[in-house]
Amino acid sequence: MATVQISEAEKVYILHGVRDDLRVDGRGCEDYRHMEVETDMVSNTDGSAKVSLGHTDVLVGVKAEIGKPRPVARDEGYLEFFVDCSANATPEFEGRGGDELGVELSNTLYKVFGNRSSLDLKSLCISPGEHCWVLYVDVLLLQCDGNLFDAISVAIKAALFNTKIPKVHLSEDEQGGKEIELSDDPYDCMRLNVENVPCVVTLCKVGHRHVVDATMQEKACSVASLIISVTHKGTITCVRKVGGGSLDPESIFEMTETGKRVGKALHAPLMELLHKEESLGKKRDKVGFLG
Amino acid sequence: MLKSKTFVKKTRSGGVMKIVREHYLRDDIWCGTEGCVECKQEETVLQKDVHIESNLCSFPHYLLPDTNVVLSQIDILEDPLIKNVIILQTVLQEVRHRSAPIYKRLKDILHDKEKHFYTFTNEHHRDTFIEREPGESANDRNDRAIRVSAKWYSDHLKKALSEEEIQIVLLTNDRGNKEKAVESGLLTYKCEEYVKSLIANPELVDRLALTDDDKNEITSSKVLFPEHLPLSRIQAGIKSGAFQQGTFRASRDNYLEATVFVHGEGDQSTEVLIQGLQNLNRSVHQDLVAVEILPQNQWVAPSSVVLQDEGPKEDDATEEVEAEKTLKSAAGGAESRKPTGRVVGIIKRNWRPFCGMLFLSQIKEATRHLFTPADRRIPRIRVETRQAATLAGQRIMVAIDGWPKHSRYPNGHFVRSLGCAGDKDTETEVLLLEHDVPHQDFSQTVLSFLPKMPWSITEEDMAVREDLRHLTVCSVDPPGCTDIDDALHCRDLPNGNQEVGVHIADVSHFIRPGNALDQEAANRGTTVYLTGKRIDMVPELLSSNLCSLRCNVERLAFSCIWEINDKAEIVKTRFTKSVINSKASLTYAEAQMRIDDTNMNDEITKSLRGLNSLAKILKRQRIEKGALTLSSPEVRFHIDSETHDPIDLQTKELKETNSMVEEFMLLANISVAQKIYDEFSECALLRKHPAPPPSNYDILNTAAKSKDLVIHTDTAKALADSLDAAQVDGFPYFNTLLRILATRCMMQAVYFCSGMDSDFHHYGLASPIYTHFTSPIRRYSDIIVHRLLAVAIGADSTYPDLMDKHKQSALCNNLNYRHKMAQYAQRASVAFHTQLFFKNRGIMNEEGFILFVRKNAIIILIPKFGMEGTVFFENKNKPSPKLTFNQEATTLTVEGHTFNMFDKVKVTISLDASNIQHQKIRMSLVEPVILGVSVAPSEDNQPKAKKAKLDG
Amino acid sequence: MAGLELLSDQGYRLDGRKATELRKVQARMGVFAQADGSAYIEQGNTKALAVVYGPHEVRGSRSRTLNDRAVINCQYSMATFSTSERKRRPHGDRKSTEMSLHLKQTFEAAVLTNLYPRSQIDIYVKILQSDGGNYSAGVNAATLAVIDAGIPLRDYVCACTAGFVDETPLTDLCHAEESGGGTSLAMALLPRGGHIALLQMDARLHQDHLETLMEAAMTACKSISKVLDQVVRQHLQEVSALTGE
Repeated sequence: MATVQISEAEKVYILHGVRDDLRVDGRGCEDYRHMEVETDMVSNTDGSAKVSLGHTDVLVGVKAEIGKPRPVARDEGYLEFFVDCSANATPEFEGRGGDELGVELSNTLYKVFGNRSSLDLKSLCISPGEHCWVLYVDVLLLQCDGNLFDAISVAIKAALFNTKIPKVHLSEDEQGGKEIELSDDPYDCMRLNVENVPCVVTLCKVGHRHVVDATMQEKACSVASLIISVTHKGTITCVRKVGGGSLDPESIFEMTETGKRVGKALHAPLMELLHKEESLGKKRDKVGFLG
Repeated sequence: MLKSKTFVKKTRSGGVMKIVREHYLRDDIWCGTEGCVECKQEETVLQKDVHIESNLCSFPHYLLPDTNVVLSQIDILEDPLIKNVIILQTVLQEVRHRSAPIYKRLKDILHDKEKHFYTFTNEHHRDTFIEREPGESANDRNDRAIRVSAKWYSDHLKKALSEEEIQIVLLTNDRGNKEKAVESGLLTYKCEEYVKSLIANPELVDRLALTDDDKNEITSSKVLFPEHLPLSRIQAGIKSGAFQQGTFRASRDNYLEATVFVHGEGDQSTEVLIQGLQNLNRSVHQDLVAVEILPQNQWVAPSSVVLQDEGPKEDDATEEVEAEKTLKSAAGGAESRKPTGRVVGIIKRNWRPFCGMLFLSQIKEATRHLFTPADRRIPRIRVETRQAATLAGQRIMVAIDGWPKHSRYPNGHFVRSLGCAGDKDTETEVLLLEHDVPHQDFSQTVLSFLPKMPWSITEEDMAVREDLRHLTVCSVDPPGCTDIDDALHCRDLPNGNQEVGVHIADVSHFIRPGNALDQEAANRGTTVYLTGKRIDMVPELLSSNLCSLRCNVERLAFSCIWEINDKAEIVKTRFTKSVINSKASLTYAEAQMRIDDTNMNDEITKSLRGLNSLAKILKRQRIEKGALTLSSPEVRFHIDSETHDPIDLQTKELKETNSMVEEFMLLANISVAQKIYDEFSECALLRKHPAPPPSNYDILNTAAKSKDLVIHTDTAKALADSLDAAQVDGFPYFNTLLRILATRCMMQAVYFCSGMDSDFHHYGLASPIYTHFTSPIRRYSDIIVHRLLAVAIGADSTYPDLMDKHKQSALCNNLNYRHKMAQYAQRASVAFHTQLFFKNRGIMNEEGFILFVRKNAIIILIPKFGMEGTVFFENKNKPSPKLTFNQEATTLTVEGHTFNMFDKVKVTISLDASNIQHQKIRMSLVEPVILGVSVAPSEDNQPKAKKAKLDG
Repeated sequence: MAGLELLSDQGYRLDGRKATELRKVQARMGVFAQADGSAYIEQGNTKALAVVYGPHEVRGSRSRTLNDRAVINCQYSMATFSTSERKRRPHGDRKSTEMSLHLKQTFEAAVLTNLYPRSQIDIYVKILQSDGGNYSAGVNAATLAVIDAGIPLRDYVCACTAGFVDETPLTDLCHAEESGGGTSLAMALLPRGGHIALLQMDARLHQDHLETLMEAAMTACKSISKVLDQVVRQHLQEVSALTGE
């Protein structure tokens, strides 16, 4: 996240714009920038998606591996998150430079996505206490232009939607030994129900108002932001305040309401898009980075 | 560049790794048909004029078999009649996946230019590639791919051939596949239908393998065997430890008994005993099977009874019950019980075509007959043939097709005839085939790598080699030897030491790594010496001419030259590629005569004397270190020069000069072993001889004890010393007998790759390191050692396989296998010639010694012929005499007379030709005289023998 | 089970290519707006992204500054999901560090660093999907990215791998071929002068075969350079069309 330095005049310009619901790039306060979603980008993952939001580019890959269920939830699988803040995004991330941000982002992702209400974790269980699917959700940041959380959340939802887990069945012999057998048919795979997977809406407090999908410049004018994860029903599953400044309870309430409204509206077009893409099947020309 | 489009094929293997591979489709894969106007191919394989006459298809056509047809009917495809066949890549890949031996045979056919078999890379062709559809199994997909390709071919040929019309005939035995193919308008036949329709060669029908459909009709519906478990269950069982996986080894003597050799972790391996037809459950010798160990209370002891599957009775279970009862009653006490199990499934069949003879059915018109393999460990096989009358009395080859659970015998089909039984050529062919000795003539490709004649040593050769032509080199070999690998020289040095050189034929100069000649030699592994016949490892031009170090010609050699002082200690060793000119090719006897003849004082003789005196010291030193001298009688035949029948039999005699040559060969081998190991610690090819486990000596110990002697077997030295000390007064042959027994206790010496093993010790030679360097003409191991040594001294370059310890190790396995088989073949050849000898001689009386005592027999060694035979005390048609076997003391009491080991007996020897397939030497007891057991000596056999000699 | 047959008797490789054919190469320049130069390349299933920042002031310790030329700074990393078996970390492991060093050496040989004294050029390569020839794809992507950034090069740097199966040199190995044993040689070439910027071979190969193998790799590199050249020309055409020149 390359730091942007802006002058006092620029700041005032942005603040006034926001106040009048007309942002620098012409959007209203609750408008997103142009967003592009494409799934099935990396063929050796089990599911993948690329999202670009303005100049923010995120690539998410999901890999399913067989692991052992956690002792606290013996009949459930689980998700692991990793965010790679690559040096591609900015030279500051070179070496270990991106680690701090990566950890911060992935910790939030655990809270937002890694729970029962977002995914049916029981469906990931193969045999209770012994085998379950572990979904490694790896996020790769390729370009940062603000509003990482929203882009990442959309990408994760899309990637999970795209994920195809090979069907396995347990064979048991007389001695009670269990053997995991993979289905021989490549088409025989399990899909995840992503209906309840939330999307994250980040609201930036700019002046007295708040905006969604803040650019780097707007972010620089903001004291603090609020991360809200919202399901398609409008249920809020997580709220976090991030940033250095403070927020008064009144505005938190207002921001939550906005977030709920915006977030709820985000799901339907996303799902429609994903289904449409899926229905194209193999005939779809993959664009990827070549477009 | 590629014009094709990219496809992604996903496969999942092992855990849950997703593997993604690219799959390019091309538009430049041609049809391989002669006269095709559409394809821009340079070479064509399939002929324009197809001549194969069939009742079903009267028009010219190409065959396109599916995978199962190739797998089951490879014998048909190999027939010269079958030409112009399209093998799809899909089929080739499936065959490769399912059966390595058939894949190899298919490849051989594909390489044969005469066969006109064309491989069509359909999986990469733009029009014939298909993707697997949802819900479609891999097999169905492949069947569809085959149909799509067949369709493409027929359409393509219609368009592309201007004048002639050639059709595609799809061969499949799968009913579903056939229906679908016919639906899509393809000409489709079952393999049987097609083969039966061929006009030219009705005999081909016999070579058809039986398929499932036919099997049902010829066998009774009674289920005789338990079902085999499916592979998935077997694998699960092996993982959980319920089953063991091992190689099935049928017993030679008892068709109801077998052992399964289970490979455990590391070196641990156990043997599981299997008894009874039900438990053997249709396993055939050498199959990889899964066994379940029975509860301990059902364990049995291996029986020492000899049981042959004699009856031709079809599927008669009662007979087996009887036989099994005999087995049970014959079983020993509880202490000798062994882990016993039953076969639950077959992991991998290891069937090969078997040699044997047809046992005609009593019903005259029957077409189904039983085939009895020459190898007793293989069950009889039921075959269907119309040429039974012709084949009776011939040695034939038969392949097994399957063994349904309601059939007493496996089903098979006739492959080819080898010739009349009893014929020397036929029998030699049989024993070569049975011992898997590659013995075909060298192919043109192999011969093309031979040097062009006339060959001579060039300037370049001389430039890189040391010129040793001036040395007095000579060779000492057995009489009649034409492949002379080694020659020696010895001369005095000014400093009082002696220079000794061992010169070995430089075979690696002629056989370059990786070419067809090299591959052929590597596969053969060794030259096989049979009585009256030699199967060369390398073509004769090399073995008997260019490489052979004959006298008075210039030859390339690889020399190992030592400076040795008078105590026979090596002062200096060096290796060099050289040119030599041998001054004399001597036999052992000639060399011995020169040494002994004090009148002779020429250079050669002096050199020989020097060598001989050094050899004596070397031998003494070696024996002091604990090297073993074990004797094993070797038989030699005097062969009639015209009929090639053996006319006399004698054991080989060892002369001083034999041991002289041997001593220096050992020295050279050890020096080279050290050198190549120093240079290539990871990939040196060495030879080791492991120390035998103490239990191996049990037989030797009991034998010695019977004469109140003690044999120490703790170390090789102790063994050698106590063998030397073991003498019995008035019984000079005793020591030899004991040594023969000791030989049987030894382990097999093996080749190995130094990077794959840590124990290098050669027990028999008492050397810490050893290899084979001195006989490259007849052993492939020596060629590798030559190459390694050449690299070590900078005379040659390496190549990847030489430095790859895994490949090297795989090569060693093959060499060990070939050596073992060569030995067996050699023994079988001697046995066969012994039989021929006795056939000509009638019955003879000979003296012999008891070598082993068995429960119902004694095994006798005849020192005069160096041969062994068994005297059975049980006879099928006579009541058996009273037998008491004492396991402790290994004695057998027959009607009051007790036989001990090493007892001297007199026997008559004759040829028992009652079973034409297994003719054997029969021995009957003459002395001691036991009423009802011993026989009268044959009437004076001397005149007969004389007559035989006169004949020759 | 028998291993894979890398080259069939008919002369086709596992994926249907002939011995000296390359995989399908597709590339695009100017993928990202924020970086000074960027490019994306696909060589079959191997996909790589490269970004270039700079030339700019030397970051971090001043001591790294070179007074006569620019510092080339490279980082090679692989996405955690790029391989069949998930990687634990994208970079910092021994292999990536080695690759970073190789990239640096390769581009020090190719970039006209003397034009930018006391400055730094960052080249970051990310492998998104790996199917053999990662290094080559990375180099090729980086070349395009450097050109996109407008940094002068001596020549295109083109990289390709070559291997040896049954006495036949194979070019542009896929993962199955790389891991199927045998030799693999990676080469980076400045095709016009025929200068080799990097040559690496880990397995054992007989000296006699080296020449044929290098020959094959060089031919492959030259074919790659043609593809790259085409990509660059097309990109320039598109850009100039957009700017209306």
